[in-house]
Amino acid sequence: MRISTQTLFAQSMRSLNQQQAELSHVGQQIASGQRVMRPSDDPQAASRAVQVGQAQAITSQYTDSRVSARNALSMEESVLNSVGDAVSSAKTLMLEAANGTLTNADRASIASQLEGIYQTVLGQANATDGNGRYLFGGYQDKSVPFVMSGGAVTYTVTDPSQDTNRQQQIDASRLMDVSDTGSTVFQGTRGATGFMAVAESGNTGSVTFKGRPNVVDSSDPNFGAPFKVAFSMDGGGNATYEIQDGSGAVLQAAQPYQSGQAIQYGGLSLTLSGTPANGDAIDVDQAQNLNTDLFKTFEKALAILKQPADTPAQQAALQNTLGNAMTEFDSSLDNVLMVRASVGSRLNELDVVDKVASNRQLNYAQTKSDLVDLDYNTAISEYSLRTVGLQAAQKAFVSMRQMNLFDLL
Amino acid sequence: MSIFSIGLSGLNAASAAFNTASNNISNVYTPGYNRQIVDLGELPAAQGVHVQGIQRQFDSYIAQQLNSANSKTSALDAYQTQVSQIDNLLADQDSGLAPLMQKFFSSVSDLASTPSDPAARQGVIGSAETLSAQFRSFDSYLSDMASGLDGQLHDEVTQINNTAKQIANLNTQIALAKAKQGQAPNSLLDQRDQLVADLSKRVNVRVSTQDSGSYNISFGNGQPLVSGGKQFDLETMPSAVDPSRISIGYRDASGNLVEMQDSTFSGGTLGGLLTFRDETLNPTRNKLGQLAVAFAEGINTQHTQGLDLNGDPGGDMFAVGQPLVYANAHNNGTASMSVAFDPANASQLTASDYDVRYDAAGGNFRITRLDTGESTTATLSAGNQLSFGGVTVTVDDPSQLADGDHFQVQPTRIAASGLQNIIGDPAKLAAADTAGGTGNNKNALALQALQSQSLVGGSASFNQAYASLVGDVGNRTNIVQVNLKAQQSLSDQLTDVQQSQSGVNLDEEAANLVRYQQYYQANAKVIQTGSTILDAILGLR
Repeated sequence: MRISTQTLFAQSMRSLNQQQAELSHVGQQIASGQRVMRPSDDPQAASRAVQVGQAQAITSQYTDSRVSARNALSMEESVLNSVGDAVSSAKTLMLEAANGTLTNADRASIASQLEGIYQTVLGQANATDGNGRYLFGGYQDKSVPFVMSGGAVTYTVTDPSQDTNRQQQIDASRLMDVSDTGSTVFQGTRGATGFMAVAESGNTGSVTFKGRPNVVDSSDPNFGAPFKVAFSMDGGGNATYEIQDGSGAVLQAAQPYQSGQAIQYGGLSLTLSGTPANGDAIDVDQAQNLNTDLFKTFEKALAILKQPADTPAQQAALQNTLGNAMTEFDSSLDNVLMVRASVGSRLNELDVVDKVASNRQLNYAQTKSDLVDLDYNTAISEYSLRTVGLQAAQKAFVSMRQMNLFDLL
Repeated sequence: MSIFSIGLSGLNAASAAFNTASNNISNVYTPGYNRQIVDLGELPAAQGVHVQGIQRQFDSYIAQQLNSANSKTSALDAYQTQVSQIDNLLADQDSGLAPLMQKFFSSVSDLASTPSDPAARQGVIGSAETLSAQFRSFDSYLSDMASGLDGQLHDEVTQINNTAKQIANLNTQIALAKAKQGQAPNSLLDQRDQLVADLSKRVNVRVSTQDSGSYNISFGNGQPLVSGGKQFDLETMPSAVDPSRISIGYRDASGNLVEMQDSTFSGGTLGGLLTFRDETLNPTRNKLGQLAVAFAEGINTQHTQGLDLNGDPGGDMFAVGQPLVYANAHNNGTASMSVAFDPANASQLTASDYDVRYDAAGGNFRITRLDTGESTTATLSAGNQLSFGGVTVTVDDPSQLADGDHFQVQPTRIAASGLQNIIGDPAKLAAADTAGGTGNNKNALALQALQSQSLVGGSASFNQAYASLVGDVGNRTNIVQVNLKAQQSLSDQLTDVQQSQSGVNLDEEAANLVRYQQYYQANAKVIQTGSTILDAILGLR
């Protein structure tokens, strides 16, 4: 084929251009460290890299979310820790106060110690995070959850839709509670807490009970139902008791009462001692149906400790109330510890998910790198190859230029 | 005495050959120059040699092949130049839409962690602003490309008209010269062929040679651009289908401007630009718009289900560019349409444009999805409405519709350009569900969950939709690059073939110079010898 002079030059230029373009492409790849610099370099890889980028972003989003969840839960855990300690010491004070040899003044001093603990617990219940948000306010985290007025603490989050644990998405498919409400921590009981006997406040006799009613027959058809031991005097001035339900209907007819005698009903056995007055009554129910409010327990104990215990009736009331308070502190403590255990297990879960996520992040980073990053070995050998190619094309051009018949004429 | 005339004829032939070689050498780099050779012929009765003509080495068959290859090459080249700009835009992985969408959802996640924290709330507003600004800037990049492209179309049309005019002039001159001398000057023919080659790079045309030697040039649909000495103008004009789009118009013999289909122009820069616009630019804008609408509607729907910090129901968080509808300029009826998004069928929203055609006989509308060609018929529902593809179209006055009236609906073309965060007050973010409360983060959690839901076209998450847009543009660019490479090498190959015939080789011409020099000397020798012989005779005494 004839080759025109223009073709000779054009062909050389074409090959020079091509070699230069390829050399510059590899050069750019090496400079950026990326194999896929533009989507067109490898459309599939570029598109998948966007998706892997999304997976990475979501994973780190959940990681951030776990950081704040851990923060909230750790804060709650430390508060629960102090609340637990406070309740334990309150219970110890109850044991001290129950000692019959104490004087009114001794009890008043115990009362002032208990008052201190009460204030501590109230302070903890109104604890805030670093930014003034109440830990135990549910969705109402901007207003004080536990308000003291007239010597009694009330929980202000009365709307059940607000008395709700806040949740956070800590992983793709895990929505975790990152707070517990004040009602759960300070007014709740968790699990079976047994039965309790409570002396009615109008009692004028000196009937006391020791501890809790014992379960003797859980298969009794009346087992678990609340009842009332109501005292009255028969014609001979002897005390009798009958078992009534909450509305006063008689469940078991009147029987003579003897101090120290075990009274059995509904599978429960309760030993009462002391002398009842006409109209006195003892209520028996499951503990979770009675007072579960930690602050009420404090208030009840404080009130009774501040009263003189001079008459047998007053002493009976003291013993009964302190006994109840002890039981209630116990179950409150159990409750706080249960919540704490659940916080702890959530914290553990966060650690586990963190580990999984950081593995996942590594995988994503690897995948993304495989998709778009440059293999330097290949790239550098490619670069040398292209350099040789360009030099060869340049040499060819120079020698082609020198071959000219006109020079020889 | 014939020895002198024979020698003289040889000298003349030699100098003609010498001139031709010199001319070839001087035009070695002249674009469009075709190598010339002297056509020598024997004079009758051994009277010497004469120059029959100077032939240019031109093969019209190869020239046509080359022109058509170049036409395709320059179409792909124009396409590639344009699409690479989108490709480059998407190249930066750190400032693309994906990381900003991720940042937005990450700020929503922070809001879920601390729903009443003003900083977290401000963070959501900030990332919403950044994200919507990026959507708008992405779209304005594309719409700037579209208006730049309109300018280029205008330039191309001007150049095509100029070139066509010159070809028409040359046709006239060549016909005249041919009539006078029986043969047109090679330089005119070279010029005209070069103009045809230039024209082919701008637009694909067909060339036919008339007996008069004139070139008739026409488009693929048969409409003539040059007919003998007459040339027809192209003009840019607003399309009848969509006045915001520039079409190519053809000024016919009776002076009417007729809109030409984009598909008429498949080759040349003009064809490449139009193909890019219809195949990549507008679909990419539509896809971006579809993503913007799905995003805005998804977030708004969830956001309005919650309560803000003041306990009031959440409002819309994003505004988005509204769909467009154009009545065809050729409609006989005067009815107009309006169009709005149909939030109840948001998942049906596509990235396609639609043609709505009224059929008076059936009293119904044929709705054609323009990207797939699928069509359905529908009748007006109560309130003179048609619902399809996630939009609702309302006809203002159905009695004014005429048979065959067309309307073009563009649901998402400008949607991204209008994406805006419209919540400025951090307290107005509805992080709470209907229960309310400052610590309530239920709605923020629900908003956060949207990032993994298939809200775009009912089948893709926001990020998947963006990834597919990146993949689409990447693929498109890649295909064009590969095609361009193949087509370029075909063009190069044909250029080599054309050059092997018509190109000048300096070595060859150098050899010719030597040859013709000897030829000249030999003929001079003939005359000298003749003179010697004559002297010998005259010297006889």
